[in-house]
Amino acid sequence: MINTEGMVAETATKIYTDLCSREVPHQAEAGQYPQGLWNALAENGLPLAWVSEDNGGFGADYDEVFGAIWASAQAASPVPFAETLIANWMLDRAGLAPADGSASFALSGSTPSADIPFGMHADKIVLFDAAHHEIALFDNRVAVRSPEEALSPDGMTQFVFSGHLAEQSGKTDLSRRAFEAMILTVRAVQMAAAMETALNLSIDYVSQREQFGRPLSKFQAIQHQLALAASECAAATMAATQAASAVARHADDPARAWHEAVIAKVQIGHSVEAVTVPFQQVHGAMGYTQEYDLHHYTRRLWAWRDALGNEHHWSKQLGTELAATSPDQIWKGVTTGNWVAS
Amino acid sequence: MQRFNFPVVQPRPELEELRGELQAFLKEEREAGNFQPEPECWMASADPEFSQKMGKRGWIGLTWPSQYGGHDKSALERYIVTEETLRAGAPVGAHWIADRQHAPMLLAHGTEEQKLDILPRIAAGECYFAIGLSEPGAGSDLANVKTKAEKVSDGWKINGQKIWSSGAHISHYMVALLRTSPADGRNRHVGLSQLLIDLSLPGVTIKPIIDLSGDAHFNEVYFEDVIVPDDCLLGEEGGGWAQVTGELAMERSGPERFLSSYITLETALGQLSGRMGSDSQARLGKLIANLRTLRGMSWAIANLLDQGVSPETEAALVKDLGNRLENDLTQQVRAMLDDLPPADWSPEMRRIMNIGVLRSPPNTLRGGTTEVMRGIIARQLGLR
Repeated sequence: MINTEGMVAETATKIYTDLCSREVPHQAEAGQYPQGLWNALAENGLPLAWVSEDNGGFGADYDEVFGAIWASAQAASPVPFAETLIANWMLDRAGLAPADGSASFALSGSTPSADIPFGMHADKIVLFDAAHHEIALFDNRVAVRSPEEALSPDGMTQFVFSGHLAEQSGKTDLSRRAFEAMILTVRAVQMAAAMETALNLSIDYVSQREQFGRPLSKFQAIQHQLALAASECAAATMAATQAASAVARHADDPARAWHEAVIAKVQIGHSVEAVTVPFQQVHGAMGYTQEYDLHHYTRRLWAWRDALGNEHHWSKQLGTELAATSPDQIWKGVTTGNWVAS
Repeated sequence: MQRFNFPVVQPRPELEELRGELQAFLKEEREAGNFQPEPECWMASADPEFSQKMGKRGWIGLTWPSQYGGHDKSALERYIVTEETLRAGAPVGAHWIADRQHAPMLLAHGTEEQKLDILPRIAAGECYFAIGLSEPGAGSDLANVKTKAEKVSDGWKINGQKIWSSGAHISHYMVALLRTSPADGRNRHVGLSQLLIDLSLPGVTIKPIIDLSGDAHFNEVYFEDVIVPDDCLLGEEGGGWAQVTGELAMERSGPERFLSSYITLETALGQLSGRMGSDSQARLGKLIANLRTLRGMSWAIANLLDQGVSPETEAALVKDLGNRLENDLTQQVRAMLDDLPPADWSPEMRRIMNIGVLRSPPNTLRGGTTEVMRGIIARQLGLR
């Protein structure tokens, strides 16, 4: 279970309950950005939860912040809350001040541009240049932004870095693995939360919808499809919990949580199909409409499983690494979560 | 709010010493040729001599009080012992069932005399138990049991038949679910009781059933006017159904629900060392991600059980996911082994793979079928 107790998680849960009712994601998609929701999160300082105290944040327990992310994903957050948390965490790891406003992030590769989730809405973009151990902050408001094809309603833009001057930049001790561990864990928590919400929607729907004179929930074919999907949802939550717990334990160097984070990505990424297929199926054509809520979760799940490389990419990354270790080391990892030879 | 209760368990380094002792013992036994590792070892590989060695080292009856031959340890230590023996594919089948479910049942419901007599023998690896649930007409529909126990002057008189009783041919006792009074109209859950039956009593006949691979590890057990004393009634007369469902919940979440075939993977890793292609590496990554996740779920439940919480639905989730995983593991390893020319497979690899394939069907049957598990989960979801 993701820890949803504690001040940060409880405040976020309350804000999302009050200001992100089920119409809000629909309205956001129709162009009414929920600025009030963002303002409430910002006024409560939540996007600074992972910023250290001497840098103007409140250095909350990592654990608790994952509970806040859980709440945002359950509400199909149309504002870049998780992205800003990550962006500010990156800035903090370079000793830079947190972003003024909302933010998103990217990992710089060999190309001068990168995919930015929430790129149309984020005020700032934080770039991690792993090769040069550098973090840089860009102003997204002055950038020329054009939306890319995106699976998720959160949208995606290409941000072209060449020709832009960073507002701030600094050296970081953050390794690429630490960055990966953090991003994959945040996405894992979001996916597990979205899956559970979509399960709840599916249960409600089949309990109400009647065919052949009885609710769909009374058909064994429906019961077994949802039972199977529920077991995948439970496994997803476990995998996300293990990753979140590893990141929290290794907050100083999340690279040590890399294996648990990758495992969560692989486990959950593979189960996206195993849950979205039955969820869409039991909803019939209704689930395929924009009017109904299910797609807020289905589409985000489809996008998040691809983010930073899909489940196949990460299965290979993990497998390649494991194949080079010993069966004893693999067993130790499976049983204790300690994947690094000591 | 989260639907399923799998709490985070912080690392427990203090358990690693016990793990190390187990690993050293199992390695030594295997290298001495005292056992050949096998998949499904907890059901199908029984070796009384091996069980006695485990008993001598204090690895059976870990959780019971010492006055009954136990070792006053936690359920987590027992978990470490079980997962290490499963990993090794060791012949633990003789004592497994008695250690897992019948000893705790005797502790809860047995007389002082039974506890003092039987439990120390179980802990020594000398006394084995068979499960007496299924009957020819009562499989998934367990409440349909027809075998009867009638109250007579000197105890209970038992007539009927049990089936699929693994290890009954080497077991000393069976705990059977029997009808002690008629069903109440359509409510068949009343009138069922659990009785402890000494399998050496007159009137008990045990006949082997040969499985599809030619092994004889499960049995039919017939009872003809078998008389057991009064104190063999375990728990309440008529309370058998609730006792059995509670017992099944406890046995569904253990490591034997997802590690039965792990020895197949480990053997293949040895064979494929330095020769694994990228497709196999991807399969390995996915398998290990699945195993680590299931282990997390099963371990979380072990911690809940240790605190006295018995989560029935979570246990059913682990069993359903775990059984699918252990069968999938065998199939993934088959695919991975395509990296080797068939001539390079060691005889050991071939033997273990064949056993793994042949013993895969019962994974999704025993302890409650996949269909029954999904019914339990669906009920918890509010669908039935």
